[in-house]
Amino acid sequence: MGVIVTFNVTEIFEIPIGIGSITVENLLYFAVIIIVGVAVAKTVSTNVRRALVERLPKNEREVLVKLVYYIIVTGALVIALPQLQFDLSGLLVAGGIVGLVVGFASQSVVSNLVSGLFLMFEHPIKIGDNINVAGISGSVEDIRILSTVVKTYDGIFTRIPNEKVFTSNIANYVHNAARRFEYQIGIRYEDDAEVAIRVIKEVIWTHPFALKNPAPSVFVDNFGDDGVNLTAYIWAPTRNWWDVRTSLLWQIKQKLEENGIEMPFPQRTVRFADDLRVTAGDAGKGGAED
Amino acid sequence: MFGRYSGTFCHENGDILVETERNGGFLTYRRNCEGRTFERILISETGETIINPVEPVNLPGDVTDLFMVEFSPMLIEPGITQTIYLKFPIEVGVFLEAAKDIEVLDIFGLGTQKYTLYGPPTSGAIARWYRSAVYPDIPAVERLREGVMELSIQNMSHEWVEVSCAVFDSVDMKIYYGDFVATTATMKIVTTHMAETDFIDAPLVPGMARSIELYTARKIPVIKRGYLMEWGLS
Repeated sequence: MGVIVTFNVTEIFEIPIGIGSITVENLLYFAVIIIVGVAVAKTVSTNVRRALVERLPKNEREVLVKLVYYIIVTGALVIALPQLQFDLSGLLVAGGIVGLVVGFASQSVVSNLVSGLFLMFEHPIKIGDNINVAGISGSVEDIRILSTVVKTYDGIFTRIPNEKVFTSNIANYVHNAARRFEYQIGIRYEDDAEVAIRVIKEVIWTHPFALKNPAPSVFVDNFGDDGVNLTAYIWAPTRNWWDVRTSLLWQIKQKLEENGIEMPFPQRTVRFADDLRVTAGDAGKGGAED
Repeated sequence: MFGRYSGTFCHENGDILVETERNGGFLTYRRNCEGRTFERILISETGETIINPVEPVNLPGDVTDLFMVEFSPMLIEPGITQTIYLKFPIEVGVFLEAAKDIEVLDIFGLGTQKYTLYGPPTSGAIARWYRSAVYPDIPAVERLREGVMELSIQNMSHEWVEVSCAVFDSVDMKIYYGDFVATTATMKIVTTHMAETDFIDAPLVPGMARSIELYTARKIPVIKRGYLMEWGLS
């Protein structure tokens, strides 16, 4: 003879577990919410890690991944706790006040954090780029969550908050493959400007990194007080432009001199109203005669 | 000059002197090319020295992988495939090889180099520039200064296309040497402003030896990729 036991599943869910009025159903809901929350947190944090693997250094990437993970788990906990009859209204009020205080206190931190994230995704600068931002020129050493580190050209470590970087005008000198620079070259009025232009173009042509295209441009720009001013526009690979700029000018000067073209020296012709004449003999004595 | 050497050797050819000599217990590598000198002491027991032509994008400094050959403008009929011969500049690479490793010792070249921008300043790319005439057959070249490129141009578009330059990614370049230096390339014209260029890994003339590429010696992993000329063909 067997004993037949019949029961209703819903009745099991309604069995109290002995703590307050919490039932098995509440406990199950709590467990399910927490498990789903942890699963979502793991999935999201894994994807965040993958997305940032080439954008952030490992240390900062892991901090961010953990932050995302715990925010989602905390959210799941907040949703699940009422199942265990925790009254979160008091917690929310306290949390709201604390949040307000923390929010005010960490306003700039959050602002820098958000700016840092935007910088990482917008990519206006990369590590190694030569930039000018907020009046600071140098090469980017690191882009962190809260700040960007720039090494100035005189070797000084400079930390710039990301908010300042993000809201400032950024000049990235190496973003494009080529960069133009210019020379102002003065020649005497008696020199032939066409010859000078030809000589300058020949010197530019001999330099490997003075680019063939865009073609260099050399022209008479203006007539100065002491001589004719020529301007030369030259394009060079961005990574080499400074070397080209520093090496070409002296070569141009030497080649111009070899061709009899010289730089003008400041000179002024002075005429005396009373036809003043200075003789060699009197000049030594400091005298003058009519 | 091109080949594999063990121990000491000396090659003098016009403006180029390449030698290794033993001083005391050391082997010294010495190179003089048009007045530019380079010297290294080599500590080696079994190492061999290999000299061969390499991709022409290393002198006077490493700024790009691309190189452009400019030639007289040609109008090409739609659907036509034509093989032409061009000259391209070469650089000479000196490698040290041991059982377990190969290393670049020196790169030098005759003459001067010139670079250009292919495309607009905002998005173009720097390329080594060289001007060549167009030849219907293999032209005579200075062996240490120039090589021969067999270029097969295929106009896959439906229009007449004017072409006056070809841009290549040197990473894909396969150089062979024998009596002269050679490479084989293709250029598939897709539209009037776009073409794909690539290299073929085959000697131009049977019996040529294949050069060691710089990216192989530098252990740079490379996926064969070709180059898409998207900034025009002239």
